[in-house]
Amino acid sequence: MIKVEHVSKEFVSAKKYQGLSGALKGLFSREKVHKMAVDDISFHIKKGEIVGYIGSNGAGKSTTIKMMTGILTPTKGKCLVNGIDPNKQRKKNAQNIGVVFGQRTQLWWDLPLSESFTILKEIYDISDEAYRERIAFLNRVLSLDDFFTTPVRNLSLGQRMRADLGAALLHNPPVLYLDEPTIGLDLVVKDNIREAIKEINEKYDTTVILTTHDIGDIEELCSRILIIDKGQLIYDGSLAELKETYGTRRRVTMEVKDTKEAAAMPLGQWLGKPEDAYDIEADEENSSIAVSFDKNQLQVSEVIGCVMQHMEVRDIQIKETELAEIVKEIYNHGMAKEA
Amino acid sequence: MRTVKRYLRLYRVFLAQFFKSLVQSKADFFLGLVGFFLTQATGIAFLYLVFRQIPMLQGWTLDQLIFIYGFAQIPRGIDHLFTDNIWIVAYRLVVSGQFDRYMLRPMNIFLQVIFERLQPDALGELIVGIILVVASLTKGIVLVDAVRIVLFFVSILAGALIYTAVKLFFASLSFWIKRSGPVLQTAYELANFAKYPTEIYARFVRFIITYVIPFAFVAYLPASYFVKKEVNPVSTIGVECLIAVVFFAIAYLVFHRGTKRYESAGN
Amino acid sequence: MRKKIKIYLPFLENEFKSNLAYKGSFYLFMLCYLFSPFINYYLWMAIYGSTDSGSIGGLTRDEMVIYVFMIYVTTEMVFVGISEYIREHVVEGSVVMNLIKPMDYRMSLISQAAGTMVYRFFAPTVFVWIGVEIYKACVLGMGITPLSNILCYMLSLLMSFLIYVLFDFCFGMIAFITTYMYGMQLIKDALISFLSGQLIPISFFPEAVGRLFEFLPFSSMVYTPVMIYLGKYSGAELAFVLGRQAVWVVLLYVTGSLLWRRITRRLVVLGG
Repeated sequence: MIKVEHVSKEFVSAKKYQGLSGALKGLFSREKVHKMAVDDISFHIKKGEIVGYIGSNGAGKSTTIKMMTGILTPTKGKCLVNGIDPNKQRKKNAQNIGVVFGQRTQLWWDLPLSESFTILKEIYDISDEAYRERIAFLNRVLSLDDFFTTPVRNLSLGQRMRADLGAALLHNPPVLYLDEPTIGLDLVVKDNIREAIKEINEKYDTTVILTTHDIGDIEELCSRILIIDKGQLIYDGSLAELKETYGTRRRVTMEVKDTKEAAAMPLGQWLGKPEDAYDIEADEENSSIAVSFDKNQLQVSEVIGCVMQHMEVRDIQIKETELAEIVKEIYNHGMAKEA
Repeated sequence: MRTVKRYLRLYRVFLAQFFKSLVQSKADFFLGLVGFFLTQATGIAFLYLVFRQIPMLQGWTLDQLIFIYGFAQIPRGIDHLFTDNIWIVAYRLVVSGQFDRYMLRPMNIFLQVIFERLQPDALGELIVGIILVVASLTKGIVLVDAVRIVLFFVSILAGALIYTAVKLFFASLSFWIKRSGPVLQTAYELANFAKYPTEIYARFVRFIITYVIPFAFVAYLPASYFVKKEVNPVSTIGVECLIAVVFFAIAYLVFHRGTKRYESAGN
Repeated sequence: MRKKIKIYLPFLENEFKSNLAYKGSFYLFMLCYLFSPFINYYLWMAIYGSTDSGSIGGLTRDEMVIYVFMIYVTTEMVFVGISEYIREHVVEGSVVMNLIKPMDYRMSLISQAAGTMVYRFFAPTVFVWIGVEIYKACVLGMGITPLSNILCYMLSLLMSFLIYVLFDFCFGMIAFITTYMYGMQLIKDALISFLSGQLIPISFFPEAVGRLFEFLPFSSMVYTPVMIYLGKYSGAELAFVLGRQAVWVVLLYVTGSLLWRRITRRLVVLGG
């Protein structure tokens, strides 16, 4: 459905200088700053996939999305969406895609939502029949009726996001781009939006590409994730695989009688493993200790068994590393360390 | 043909919106109208005050100058009414990245821009223009014949197109320099001075308002054809039409090129 | 006092810098903006060329040249609007934030305007001004403007600036009634350009009308400093026009304070 082949985007801007004298200097300088926002990225997305596109701020997520939607022209490489080059056949591509930018509405600020939809119906050349059907469907999944006649500027953020999503889906596009669709929303609305996206994907086999900072979105929706950092694609794979590869840390929390004694236990000696294979933290307040380790080096049962042999354990909790931590780790250290 | 029909239908939808908003903001509309009336009135008052001191200005009477002045308002008003959104492209939409939305819809980008907004304040210019032209007609200083009546309307449309071309060209520069509002403003303001006979200017100034930013062909030159017998329609209104087409084509090309290198915002 | 300057200086500096920031448009802007005084100049030359009398409205042809360009220099530095900022603050709702900050809202706006004024002085007003002096001395043979005139002009210019921004602050209060100010803005601009001497010297009006206009604050915004520059006032008359400007500064300052107090009181009541 979507092919991105060796795409790069470079932004060139005039160099900025510090301070007041710098401002004057900038006036006469012709020095340029080149910035590779996206650097040789390639990936393919199949029909019906929901793909999470993540990365820290300024990593190049939005730039990639904007190239796929036809807003930006790549400096190098090319995108094909449904066989169409968005930069060469902008209008044809636009008919095929729906776009929601969480930070900014695509709707007409002063018009009621109903009027915006009337205009969009004409722009996308939707037949009356298809339009009625779509409105009924969107109404069901997004409850647009609640604010259908309200001017867009008076909508709450959650309503606005639903409205924008509705507007992006009005023409039933096979591809839907969502740039931070849940930003700033409360949990209930987030849930509604996610449910709606899921339902649309299931019912119409819509391909969805979403960027987000909310790991919840990823866990709920995405079967596949792409991670971008400093303009380069550093991970492309399934969520399970990411967890499998990078989420091998386990953390076992045990409630014990004497935390001080437990914290000082020579676990490595008992297990016959080096001291740096694990990490013990004591939590005096909850009278518990937490042992964390890599599950490929130590086994959970091994650790628990060994501790229980030496002291009384009242309660046990086992935790996998959360996706958020994995992602944080990847942003901070890149992939090199892990590989 | 189908696309033309579709765009016409679309424009009707936008127009309907415009009239609804006009009804909602009567007071704003009225104030805008008064504002434009006053601006034009001071221009006329200026001429009166000057003509208290002199009998003629380089062979032109006060009445003739007022006709030129009024005639100039009409194409300006038409352009202002229909393409006012171009200003917002120059000042805000490109630099803020809001231009994204036009790129995302399956519709001609330029038409999206101008469809989106009509400027009712422009009626102020149009009304002043029409009043002054009608007043000039009753004074009998305007030549009237069949050819001139037809060319009057042709000239007004071509003039409006020249205005649009100038605006579009300078607004498109914002794709390169991010915010071209000030440049557009300055270019647009040149039009104020092309309301007077161009003979008063030095050669290089005349060159600029005739060939670089051709506002002379919007107001003074075509208007002179309607008040002076000896003026040749081909070298005034004919050239005006040619300029309108050429300049608009150039402006549109630059705009089109600009959308290709649009950088959006947030980088 | 020094502490006060410290608070407001960043506003001035920021505005100055953000004006510079749009470099691409800067050069073009500078070039294009000079068109208007030049075209005005030609218009007046044609007008003077259409009459036999050497002086119209009390100004000779040469004086009119100076008048046209000094109008440009003066209006560039004096007409720095702040009402648009007020409107934006009202629309965004940030005007309420300004009520809690430990500084005077009006002062911060005026500092911002002063930043723009400084910016405009360097780009490109001062060059035009120097150009006027060179033209005056070399082409018109009138000699360089005496230092006393220049100093009085600068003093007058400063008061003109204050009159304009203080007036515009009062005008900006309209934003609290309606945030659609475009029409009002047009009315304001038209009246100011007509009544301030920007469009035509006040001396061109019929005498009674001109006398009346001289007593409105608008003539103190532009006409007064330019006529001072031309050396049209001296002695008691000079003191009188400068005094009149000072009175307007005070009057508009007080008016602004009163309006602001009324409006903020209403805001607080509405805000609960």
